[in-house]
Amino acid sequence: MSIDISRRFVKERRREELQEERNSALTTPASPVSVKQPIPMGIKGLTKLLADNAPKCMKEQKFESYFGRKIAIDASMSIYQFLIVVGRSGTEMLTNEAGEVTSHLQGMFSRTIRLLEAGLKPVYVFDGKPPDLKKQELAKRFSKRADATEDLAAAIEAGEKEDIEKFSKRTVKVTKQHNEDCKKLLGLMGVPVIEAPSEAEAECAVLCKNGKVYAVASEDMDSLTFGAPRFLRHLMDPSSRKIPVMEFEVSKILQELNLTMDQFIDLCILCGCDYCDSIRGIGGQTALKLIHQFGSIENILENINKERYQIPEDWPYQEARRLFKEPAVSANHEQLEIKWTSPDEEGLITFLVNENGFNLDRVIKAIEKIKAAKNKSAQGRLESFFKPVVSTSLPIKRKETLEKASRETVNKKSKANDRSPAQLLELAFRLSTFSYVSEHFVRLSFLKGRGY
Amino acid sequence: MLELRLVQGSLFKKVMEAIKDLVTDANFDCSATGFSLQAMDSSHVALVALLLRSEGFDHYRCDRNLSMGMNLGNMSKMLKCAGADDIITLKADDGSDTVTFMFESPNQDKIADFEMKLMDIDSEHLGIPEAEYQAIVRMPSNEFSRICKDLSSIGDTVVISVTKEGVKFSTRGDIGTANIVCRQNMSVDKPDEAVIIEMQEPVTLTFALRYMNSFTKASPLSNTVTISLSSDLPVVVEYKIAEMGYIRYYLAPKIEDEDEEPKPGVKNERD
Repeated sequence: MSIDISRRFVKERRREELQEERNSALTTPASPVSVKQPIPMGIKGLTKLLADNAPKCMKEQKFESYFGRKIAIDASMSIYQFLIVVGRSGTEMLTNEAGEVTSHLQGMFSRTIRLLEAGLKPVYVFDGKPPDLKKQELAKRFSKRADATEDLAAAIEAGEKEDIEKFSKRTVKVTKQHNEDCKKLLGLMGVPVIEAPSEAEAECAVLCKNGKVYAVASEDMDSLTFGAPRFLRHLMDPSSRKIPVMEFEVSKILQELNLTMDQFIDLCILCGCDYCDSIRGIGGQTALKLIHQFGSIENILENINKERYQIPEDWPYQEARRLFKEPAVSANHEQLEIKWTSPDEEGLITFLVNENGFNLDRVIKAIEKIKAAKNKSAQGRLESFFKPVVSTSLPIKRKETLEKASRETVNKKSKANDRSPAQLLELAFRLSTFSYVSEHFVRLSFLKGRGY
Repeated sequence: MLELRLVQGSLFKKVMEAIKDLVTDANFDCSATGFSLQAMDSSHVALVALLLRSEGFDHYRCDRNLSMGMNLGNMSKMLKCAGADDIITLKADDGSDTVTFMFESPNQDKIADFEMKLMDIDSEHLGIPEAEYQAIVRMPSNEFSRICKDLSSIGDTVVISVTKEGVKFSTRGDIGTANIVCRQNMSVDKPDEAVIIEMQEPVTLTFALRYMNSFTKASPLSNTVTISLSSDLPVVVEYKIAEMGYIRYYLAPKIEDEDEEPKPGVKNERD
């Protein structure tokens, strides 16, 4: 191995990196808000809706318990996070000699190594061409970014430190170059990369459905709408934040909410997705009630009070539904083989150290970690030998938890509505600005109907 | 209604020590046949199966099949309060969300009641089929415990290989390597110290020592341990509990990585 690099340069880099590390160490835990996406993406309020109505579909898992698992990761989402968080202080970011940003490389390199060390097998999926419908949403994001750029300029002028950081984070955009850099890096690390024809989440979901990977990791709840059987959140969060991985299972969501997959997709569209507007005044809870009541968006539109709720004029919900149900994905998954290979040591050193000013010692150490990790990933799991069976014993303690009781009332409520749905709903909607009142009203009318 | 009385109460304590490092929460199942438990560790690599048959208890009453979710750390705290010679009785009423441990001193002059809250635990029950194993090794439990402890000071994994000559435990770490061979030895005068190998065909498997070490916590329950190995199955490490049942540990082996494919031109450091 021949490494052509002057000692002095290495020293300088090390000092800078230490500084940057310190900065990132300061900014990351002190402002947890920073990791939140400044621009909302995915399905609005779905996490809360699920937590309230289907608590059993999500469970916290230890990061380490995913050893040996193949996980499809939405790369663009991760790169976006890295650009926001890694090594940032104010408007300053990690850069190489030429002044190009390297936060995404630093983030991708260290987080991927963390995954490999824990024995996970990540495969990164990159976004392709966005579907036409998403362009509206993208335009919105673009204009938000433009606003943020103006705000940033103002904040810099005023010298408001917090605002500078806040707005500069909002100006972050993942460029083609960032994507290409990361693909190159992953290739050198021996980590597989898949390019989606369109949305990465959709591609991830299909990989998971076909059993090519165990789960999909993203921060974007869209993945569930695309039907990824198993979806992980917070997998890519820095270990310093100590947030457990949250695992969602679509089958449990459908079971707990008592919906079909088609109905769940309609629910997500009503909550608000990236592809089209939602109906003003209908949030997650109302949407869930309406879906339970009427079964599909078409039926809801027929029965809903159109004066109270303004349906967007040009509302392409059918098109959005089609995008969720039949998204553009690669066709030949059957033949697809995902391979993890040994890292290309010299390639990594050339790319990271010589071209992007990473510290040589650190990169060498990291390569050692990758190689060591490869030997570790071979622990088998019991489930691959023994299959689950149903236990015959009944729990001694009857489960009568609060959520169950409340879910029952929801069911009963909808049953009550079945009797004279139009009337009751009309009333409920008229009162819906006082949703508390309306809920009680429905419950009361149900009780009366039962002769209480 | 459930009532289990065990004059030799220390057995409960030993069982608890043998499980609690591996599993944090578990459902105990009670039926007419006995008191049992099956639980996996959080990463689903190891499984413990416990059976205490009803005949082994001094009094056993279980009206219907029940399962009781308990936190093993808490259960262990309660059982630690029992004296070494105490008689332990475990009681639970139908529909109750607590279980009571009653400790009686041998001469009946002290009686203590400890009530513990039960939990709802969602746990998967795995079906474990009966299997013929390629090799079965029986050896003194303290010997096995010593081997695992010694090897884990050198490496993380143990390769167990059984041949006609005997059973070999080996490991490799940063500081060096270690090999321990136990030869078949059927000493007649001390049957507990015998090493007995029943082998259909030679077998070699690799396991994480961390788990093996937590299995050996069951050594106080039995003088001998039985290790059953097959190349396509998890290993079974069994400690018999005299006249009552057993505690069995299953551990998934380490497997060769099927995705491994060295890049051309790059030296693959794996051996």
